[in-house]
Amino acid sequence: MAEATPTPAPAKPKRPLPLSRQMVNAQTAKAYEDAWKAAEEGKPIGWSTAIFCQEICEVFDIPILYPENNCATLSARHIGDPYIAHAEGELAYPINICSYSRLNIGYADTLLKHPEQIPHEAPYLPRPTFLLLTNNSCTQLMKWYEQLSEMFDIPIFFMDTLFNYYEEEPKPHKIKYVRSQIENYIKNMEKFLGRKFDWEKFEEVQKISQENCRLFDEIVALNQRKPAPMSGFDLFNYMSCLVICRGKRSTTEIFKQLKKEVEEHIANNTSTFPAEEKYRVHWEGIACWPNLGYNLKTLKNYNVNAVMNGYVTAWDVLYNPGNMDEMAKAYQCSSTNSFSTPAIMDKRVASIKDYGCDGMLCHVNRSCKLMTFHIHVGREIVDEKAHVPVATFDGDQSDPRIFNEAQFETRLQGLVEIMKEKKEEEANG
Amino acid sequence: MYTLGIDIGSTACKCIILSDGKEIAGKGLYPLGTGTIGPKMVFESALKDAGLTREDIHTVLATGYGRFQFDGADSQKSEMTCHATGIHFLMPSARTIVDIGGQDIKALRLDAQGRLDNFVMNDKCAAGTGRFLDVMAGVLNVKTYELGPISDDAQSVVSISSTCTVFAESEVISLLSNNVRIPDLVAGIHASVAGRVAALVFRNGIVPDVTMSGGVALNHGMVRALSAELKTPITVHPLCQYAGALGAALIAYREATK
Ligand code: SF4
Repeated sequence: MAEATPTPAPAKPKRPLPLSRQMVNAQTAKAYEDAWKAAEEGKPIGWSTAIFCQEICEVFDIPILYPENNCATLSARHIGDPYIAHAEGELAYPINICSYSRLNIGYADTLLKHPEQIPHEAPYLPRPTFLLLTNNSCTQLMKWYEQLSEMFDIPIFFMDTLFNYYEEEPKPHKIKYVRSQIENYIKNMEKFLGRKFDWEKFEEVQKISQENCRLFDEIVALNQRKPAPMSGFDLFNYMSCLVICRGKRSTTEIFKQLKKEVEEHIANNTSTFPAEEKYRVHWEGIACWPNLGYNLKTLKNYNVNAVMNGYVTAWDVLYNPGNMDEMAKAYQCSSTNSFSTPAIMDKRVASIKDYGCDGMLCHVNRSCKLMTFHIHVGREIVDEKAHVPVATFDGDQSDPRIFNEAQFETRLQGLVEIMKEKKEEEANG
Repeated sequence: MYTLGIDIGSTACKCIILSDGKEIAGKGLYPLGTGTIGPKMVFESALKDAGLTREDIHTVLATGYGRFQFDGADSQKSEMTCHATGIHFLMPSARTIVDIGGQDIKALRLDAQGRLDNFVMNDKCAAGTGRFLDVMAGVLNVKTYELGPISDDAQSVVSISSTCTVFAESEVISLLSNNVRIPDLVAGIHASVAGRVAALVFRNGIVPDVTMSGGVALNHGMVRALSAELKTPITVHPLCQYAGALGAALIAYREATK
């Protein structure tokens, strides 16, 4: 049978989860447990956009949960659809807005009108008492959170960031602007909670957060090895630690364990990628959470490991603890969405080279316009500078109506055939 | 050695039998796609055309939307690689191939050696696909293959503003009720498809020579409209419709003789 034709894998008994994954699950369950407990005790709980300065709430020791991360979980478990349908039906939201916002608003309305339908455990969010919002990944978040604020009648703490379309680095005035907002946010939280902010603890939390980000970067970089010790899709799971528990010691423990496991894989020449790795691709865009299993299975059948993607590093917010200017800058730049297409694609080109990728697979995500619009021009840049073929496929991070299995497989197969030809050509000199 | 390539599309099946990877020994075409009797019928008609039986065929390679549903194949390849290989065999100077299929559009770029270098395909939308032309032909009560000759009599090109197949259908119906000339309307339909397709082709970059593969390439009105939109001459091979099946048969031969 031809090499580029998929070999359906025989059904295997499920392998037990590695310890690091069990630790991730336990940490997530605890985050939800703490939040539900606070809700039952009438204590404050926040809902936050994905890349907010969570160090501050960590200092105040208040549970924070993340709707974007929650939507990803609900979608991956195929329990998000009724909320999307509710948002589009009864609440009349259009299909054109981000499916995370549709799902979460549909959920919020259910939580308000039918709280009895919501189990008090993960992955369900308890009702928030305040909102943390920053627009560093897109501006649609502002409308989404305004809507939540109105629905729950609760305040928003907003940190406005500026995009960097015309520069590689944010200009000093932009850093000053964001820094002043972080400082102001701390003061407002002090007023809201009636408690003083502990600046010493703040530095401690910052240190933990930095250690976690650095550890994660080191682990991700281990996937540069050929063959990679991890299936690239594993990174989607582990990055959730930085999303929801960036400033916690428990994340440090998870990453230390993970690093140990990955190094063991390297030493034993094994991998969590469940097939022989013949091709390495760079994945662009958010995962199709409802189709994660199908995508991984199809990639595996074609021996393609998506070793790296441009999304997982959005949470390594790097700065020197105690340096507020650096912190302000890091929160402004951590999502590549805030940069111009050439700047983003130059990062991807560098990453394609570092990770030895043979091609790029781009998720044309119906929901996330900001990430997707870069792809069409970006593919030319990648083609020209990295000299690797690029394939795109349609999908959505949460809305299952957009993705099409046959289309995904055809495009992947086409990409594999080109990568195979190029490899053979290189091998034959 | 005989190898057979079968291209199982969404609306039609094509089949080519090659002798020693060089000569076409037989071919078949059936106007029904995957999930129907189409694949079986086209397979049998190609064998009959070549005067062969299944036992004479060394390797069968399937391509197209229904490639994994066909039990008789030894292996499968994507449409992109097969069209590129088939066209390179027919027209060695071609570097850009446009294929308007039943449900998707492909713009393929070949390297100087004729290998597939990169490709771009449409998003999940029927605008600009062969399905769009079929629906419009249905509204006009003509056969799809008649659209080309009808457009030869166009005196002007009617503008069709909707690209969505459903809305364009109602737009064409209302233009018809306003007594717009049918050839002008058909030229407008071709221009509408050409506009969508050209956007995709530009995205992949145009390297001459430019050609079209697939059944829609037989519609000279469509070729004319796309050529105007791309501002580039497009040459079409008479066997363009079989390019995918031919590529499949060629790859089958290469695999068998590896
Ligand atoms: S549009 Fe994109 S960046 Fe904005 S919330 Fe949705 S997924 Fe996130």
